[in-house]
Amino acid sequence: METRPWLRTMKARALVRLWSIFGERLWIVVNMGFPILSSLALSLLYYSIGATGYIGFAILGGVMVAFWGNVLWSMASQFNWDKQEGLFEIYLTSPASLSAILIGMSFGGIIGTAPSAAMVIGIGWVLFHPVVAASWGAVLLTFLLTLVSLYAMGMTLSSLYLTYGREAESMNNVLQEPVSMVSGLYFPAIGGASPFPFAIQAVASLIPLTIGMDALRKSLFRGMDVGSIWPSLVTLAVMAVIFLVISNFALKALENRGRRDGTIAVRIR
Amino acid sequence: MISGTQASVKVSDLRREFKTKEAPVVALDGVSLSVSRGEIFGVLGPNGAGKTTIIRILSTLLLPTGGSASVMGFDVEHEPEKVRHVINMASGADKAGYDFISAKRNLWFFSQLYGIQPQIAEKRIGDLSERLGLTKYLDRKFYALSTGYRQRATIARAFINDPRVVFLDEPTIGLDVMTARSIRDFLKDEVRQHDRTIMLATHNMAEVEAICDRVAIIDKGKIIAEGSPKELKRTLGVPALVMEVTPPEKSFDLLAQVEGVKGFTSASDEERGLSTIQVVVEDDGTARRAEEAMAQSGHKVIASWRKETTLEEVFVAMVGRGFKEREEQDGD
Repeated sequence: METRPWLRTMKARALVRLWSIFGERLWIVVNMGFPILSSLALSLLYYSIGATGYIGFAILGGVMVAFWGNVLWSMASQFNWDKQEGLFEIYLTSPASLSAILIGMSFGGIIGTAPSAAMVIGIGWVLFHPVVAASWGAVLLTFLLTLVSLYAMGMTLSSLYLTYGREAESMNNVLQEPVSMVSGLYFPAIGGASPFPFAIQAVASLIPLTIGMDALRKSLFRGMDVGSIWPSLVTLAVMAVIFLVISNFALKALENRGRRDGTIAVRIR
Repeated sequence: MISGTQASVKVSDLRREFKTKEAPVVALDGVSLSVSRGEIFGVLGPNGAGKTTIIRILSTLLLPTGGSASVMGFDVEHEPEKVRHVINMASGADKAGYDFISAKRNLWFFSQLYGIQPQIAEKRIGDLSERLGLTKYLDRKFYALSTGYRQRATIARAFINDPRVVFLDEPTIGLDVMTARSIRDFLKDEVRQHDRTIMLATHNMAEVEAICDRVAIIDKGKIIAEGSPKELKRTLGVPALVMEVTPPEKSFDLLAQVEGVKGFTSASDEERGLSTIQVVVEDDGTARRAEEAMAQSGHKVIASWRKETTLEEVFVAMVGRGFKEREEQDGD
């Protein structure tokens, strides 16, 4: 594998994502507006019932829901959409690495979603003054590892969704709300404060978002440092590696299967 | 790498089957052909004949189930990565690009899939756009381009990596006459000036006659004729007979009984109340007998004339029916 073409492909795909996100005013409104609205609604609810200690959770949830939405709608279903539009054929007939394209999409998605996340933090901070007791090094490391493992999961989903037709969109709908709930975007989903039974907590722990949210809450609101949350950080790193390996393997396997069976980007005309 | 070949594209006894719930569909059944460097080679046939399948195998999107194929000496089955460095492909049906970014940025993005240096990519985009009449529209978002300009951008993309071999599938489908002509002129220039090879799958006979050096006519996964358009037309000997008859009918099967009739194709015009029949005939005597047979069957021959042979008549002579009838037959 040559490094320079790989990097050029990755950079170009990241730019396409950014140009697309910021090229349409309506998209900007939708991308920025939705996470703020859900976050504000929950913050107001916590505020009105006097549970002000939870407001920070709601704001953090709003930040991460922006990335989670981006992973689902702009990563997981992207290759499937590309396939239906005839773009995936262009990728396959070029020497470009599909992994470089997916990683580029991830970078573009993270950078493109960052303003939305920043807006949730800014508005939440100004309106509700949430109490934080942060260990900032741990917060930053956890945040980065959560994003890496989350987008690696998006890459895996993107590869697996290639086998789907239009039902990929339904898969996203199926995943979006249940994952948002069990991963504890707005409340603790694992550990002693979780409302869920052990079985659901165990399943939820397989999702990077769950581990990441738990570690973020601990480092941001309880001041726990890297030394205290290292099991979560190691888990996130391992998850990222596993998802990247699966994604790479799945892409190759699906390409081979598609060429053999005529199932990817191939129509009988 | 397959050694000892001078051809840009070489296909030998190529087979491809698709599994379906009912029974396997044979899309290609022992196709062999060779395309020389610097040639525009057409693959002509009705829908469902197997043209797209050949293009997809050669552009590494599909594996053959039998036989072999190579592009610039690289085996498409075992060396797809090497093949992808020397080819590009475009399909007229897709006109693919990212809608919310400009045509220029789309072209730049696709150039980066080949790892092209940004300055070189910029220059190529400028040059290709100029020659395809796209320059004025480069900054428009892809969705805002008309069908014709989207297709020009698609064609520009197919040449962005300076490919040795370009595979095009119905590159001018759905385009107006002027746009189609300018794209054909561009393709001819590309081959002449840059020593490329173009392989073109189409069911547009005018396109093949306008730009192809050689053509393979394909039907039901088999090549039934191959040569230059002139050579193929010459094999028919005499001009085809065209008759306008009334009352219009869907089928004129009685013509198949006339001695010396090699095949025919017909189209009904309900508004004018007549059918136009093109009959491929062996000689002038056959043409006379065909007219007499029509008259005897109760049809009035309003007008008849002889026309210059086209490639469709070559197909009709080989198969007995035209593209349209073949597609309807397959759809039954």
